[in-house]
Amino acid sequence: MLDYLRLEVRRTLRDVGFVIGGIAMPVMMYLLFTNLGGDDSGYKATAMVGMAAYGAVGSALNTGGGVAEDRAIGWLRQLRVTPMTPRQVVLGRALTGSVTVLPAIVAVLAAGGLVNGVRLDAWQWAAIALLLWLGSIPFTLLGLGNGYGLTSQTTGVANMACTMGLAVLGGLWFPISLFPGWLRAISHYTPTNRFAELGTSVADGHAPALGAIAVLTAWLLAFGSYAVLAYRRTGRTV
Amino acid sequence: MSFAGAVKNFGAVRAVDGVDLEIGRGETVALLGRNGAGKSTTISLLLGLNAPDAGTVELFGGAPESAVRSGLVGAMLQKSRAVPRVTVGELVAFVARRYPKPMPVAQALELAGIGELAGRRVDRLSGGQTQRVRFAVALAGNPSLIVLDEPTAALDVEARHAFWQSMRAFARRGHTVLFSTHYLEEADAHADRIVVIDRGRIVADGTGEQLKPAAGGSLVSFDLAGRATEGLAQLPGVRSLEVRGDRALLRTDDSDATVRALADLDAIHGLEVTPASLDDAFLALTAPELEPELETV
Repeated sequence: MLDYLRLEVRRTLRDVGFVIGGIAMPVMMYLLFTNLGGDDSGYKATAMVGMAAYGAVGSALNTGGGVAEDRAIGWLRQLRVTPMTPRQVVLGRALTGSVTVLPAIVAVLAAGGLVNGVRLDAWQWAAIALLLWLGSIPFTLLGLGNGYGLTSQTTGVANMACTMGLAVLGGLWFPISLFPGWLRAISHYTPTNRFAELGTSVADGHAPALGAIAVLTAWLLAFGSYAVLAYRRTGRTV
Repeated sequence: MSFAGAVKNFGAVRAVDGVDLEIGRGETVALLGRNGAGKSTTISLLLGLNAPDAGTVELFGGAPESAVRSGLVGAMLQKSRAVPRVTVGELVAFVARRYPKPMPVAQALELAGIGELAGRRVDRLSGGQTQRVRFAVALAGNPSLIVLDEPTAALDVEARHAFWQSMRAFARRGHTVLFSTHYLEEADAHADRIVVIDRGRIVADGTGEQLKPAAGGSLVSFDLAGRATEGLAQLPGVRSLEVRGDRALLRTDDSDATVRALADLDAIHGLEVTPASLDDAFLALTAPELEPELETV
């Protein structure tokens, strides 16, 4: 299965679309958004976590795009006639998702620390990276659900819609303090908002609130069930 | 491997309709049929990709899935395309490592005739090269049984020739090979045994030589030279009569008796007697509605 993980990570990193859309874009958007306005160092840290989260969400969902592509070209079917078990394939894919979110997280955090001069304690950097990494799991599951449940083309569109929609709603691009009250209330229940909160609370020097963990866990279960259902429906007969 | 009364439906379509078949180790068997005859479905049952709705399918004395899990089977599936963003060497090495006793990657590439392509990206190869990569993927694990679903579809003549050379080299190493095709020349030339499938049923099973009589013996043709065709169809041995221009074509079970009768009629002008070709046999076997003896059924 490590072999499969290595193969898939290699394939993902060779995808120019992934490297540009999943790694370069969040970094550029971060640098652009934070340097156009005033010189608010607090916003630079918050936006850094938000954009790292946005990059992680995009990369996690991209895993589903890979699954849909491999279903379409018959590669998943080919794997079924090798000694690999379906469980190994699905787990390998989920692990691929959790590895390929790392470049985006690391790149945006590096841009914050090296270019924008965001200053945090060593433990904060480590904790933010770790929490963003773990917190991306629900999004990998959402991507897998899309990848197994939808066709190759609709997966691309669905992933893009999910990434953009959840990023904006969750306040990853613009702070939700700019939102009207009702939208802000909705935003608190989005997985993306709570995902970023894991990082921003650490940047503020305290542990994430229980509410954030509860909402994210609920989404983890929801997206996990979605992935299982989608896989049951099509994945076993690819 | 064995099939016993295997049935598989897709919705209202009965794709495989009661197939009984046994294949022993070391055989090279062709599964011959038209498009939509049930070849791919038979293969998907054999590989455990689909479960039969009725009957049983066994591979190496057990469920197909467990034979596949044990690494006894390699397959080249139909409709699979190039895997993007991976090199030939990486792909074949990855598949080989899934198997307990793979062959060295270099050897698999050599056998498939793509030794020089190891460093190339799979998605940047020609159609023929991609097909060979898929063949290398099928044999990389050094499996006892290799199943090839229409391996030469969409290959040009030269690539096809090269492919069969590779396949024979692999079969010579003692492996069992099952391939499907709708080219009967391929089945005749490259298999020890031909299993003809039509509308989900096996309609013939044997060597090319054994199948030829199914076409109805041989073909006797001669110039009519203005003669009427009445009575020709009733001559001894004749099963059917066809007139092409001024030439009569008699399909006969007993060409000697037919020719003697024609001589008595003084009808011998430009006479030719040709044995039934495998083409004829195939058409006769897979188009039962054209068979005279079945018309009354």
